[in-house]
Amino acid sequence: MRILISHDTVYRYANPPASVVQILRLTPRNHDGQYVGSWRIDISADCRLDAHEDSFGNLTHTFSVDGPVEELVIHVEGDVDTEDTNGVVRGAIERFPPGLFLRETQLTTPSPAIRDFAAALKAAGYGETLSLLHGLLACLYEEMTFDADPTHAATTAAEAFAIRRGVCQDFAHIFIAAARSLGVPARYVSGYFFRSDGVNDQNAGHAWAEAYVADLGWVAFDPANGISATDAHLRVAAGLDYLGAAPVRGTRYGGGAENLAVRVRLQQARQQAQN
Amino acid sequence: MLSRTADNLYWLARYVERAEYLARILEATQRLTALPLAYVGESNEWESAVATAGCAGAFYAVFSEANEENVTDFLAFSTANPSSIRSCFEAARTNARAVRTALTVEMWDAINGTWLELRRYGNGPTSREELSRFLRWVQESSLRFDGCAYRTMLRNDAYWFTRLGVYLERADNTARILDVKYHMLLPAHEQVGGPLDYFQWAAILRSVSALTSYHWVYRESLKPWLIADLLILKEEMPRSLASCYENIVTNLDRIAAAYGRQGPVQRLARSVRTRLQNSRMDDIFQRGLHEFIQSFIADNNRIGTTITQQYLT
Repeated sequence: MRILISHDTVYRYANPPASVVQILRLTPRNHDGQYVGSWRIDISADCRLDAHEDSFGNLTHTFSVDGPVEELVIHVEGDVDTEDTNGVVRGAIERFPPGLFLRETQLTTPSPAIRDFAAALKAAGYGETLSLLHGLLACLYEEMTFDADPTHAATTAAEAFAIRRGVCQDFAHIFIAAARSLGVPARYVSGYFFRSDGVNDQNAGHAWAEAYVADLGWVAFDPANGISATDAHLRVAAGLDYLGAAPVRGTRYGGGAENLAVRVRLQQARQQAQN
Repeated sequence: MLSRTADNLYWLARYVERAEYLARILEATQRLTALPLAYVGESNEWESAVATAGCAGAFYAVFSEANEENVTDFLAFSTANPSSIRSCFEAARTNARAVRTALTVEMWDAINGTWLELRRYGNGPTSREELSRFLRWVQESSLRFDGCAYRTMLRNDAYWFTRLGVYLERADNTARILDVKYHMLLPAHEQVGGPLDYFQWAAILRSVSALTSYHWVYRESLKPWLIADLLILKEEMPRSLASCYENIVTNLDRIAAAYGRQGPVQRLARSVRTRLQNSRMDDIFQRGLHEFIQSFIADNNRIGTTITQQYLT
């Protein structure tokens, strides 16, 4: 599937800040299931955009804008060819052994409730790692309600699980926390999701999780949709949790209140015949 | 475009590129053997030239041992060897004539002029100086032809098929140099900095015109693992495997976009490129440089076959 992406992140500041520094993880890399045809990042202010690679192998761009700026727009567009690999992620950059992804972070520390939830699944007789993870995916999708209101970017897995509500980020964090509590390495993935229901305009990117299965490698699970990743998932960055894979992180000097709007538009390119 | 036309254009470019590559090997070997024995050791460089040219089988069917005279003749002038410089230019010119109307006047003049001038060399130069001049002339002919294609061809499928030929052949050639010399590039190799190694490494770099580029990129004395890095993973180095694949993928994408359909070769080429992009030299050394190159050559051949199946037949 060829997906065209247009993604705007718009900051409006009450008082124009003197300077803004940001780090972007907005550039996807190729792996066996996806190929980036073209990709570019435009920043609305004059600035220097430096490309780097973080320790997990994600492509990052850093920029700093000397203000004052009233509005800052980060525009990303590109086209990517994806293939359905049944969720298995092969050929991606692996800088660390899977065991590293057992490490807990503040956002993904499992609460006793999550531990019990995961242990109950294990006790329910899901034998191998893969079927256990599929069980976790299904139960989590069943148990949780998608709701953008009660949670925010800093909500931890434990908090979201306690109220059984959250967005894709919370679903992914809970999945990761539960998988790690069962001894399965898991990581957070940020990216885009092309919706087959015709809703092209979205107000956020997407997030899901990958878990390591011994004979298979990394397998992607999308608990917010209750499915394994398909060719509708475009993988951009991976990390231990949201903070490690967040599309935009930054800080500013001055600026008062800020208003953040995100517009993501995904379209399927004119069908190209495959033979 | 007819498959047949695409096929001729693709092979035309491949043959010209191959002729240039053979000239580079011969030049590098000539330079190595001109050094005192104390510098280059006892190894027979002409043997490794035959191996790098990928025609050891055909060569040893005729000759029992490799020396300057028979290797030069076999790789440059022999009509019995289908991959000699002479045969390459003959085949290129035959392919060009078959698709004369798909070429520009400049391209035709370049390849036809080369073919005519080739006759002047008869059965080969009589002296080393003359051979050097001949090898330079071969490289210049290839440059002239390539420049004509770049500057005068319409950017359509005809151009993209010539580019595919160039880069596929080039990837194969660079990989073959690495395959024959890989043992020189292993980091575990002892006597780092010995004269023997230095001249061998310089010869590898020279055979792909990368000696100056090396110093620009690394600003260091010659280190084998950096040479491997330059020739395998550096996209900015025009004869590296990564750069060849960047170009192969781009041109395959253009063909796919123009025809409105893509197939197995696009997928294969992208996966090879992805592997090159996602690899680091440390990991390649750890898993085995030799195995890596072998599997690359196999992939490259598979892509050649798939291009033939998908477009050229």
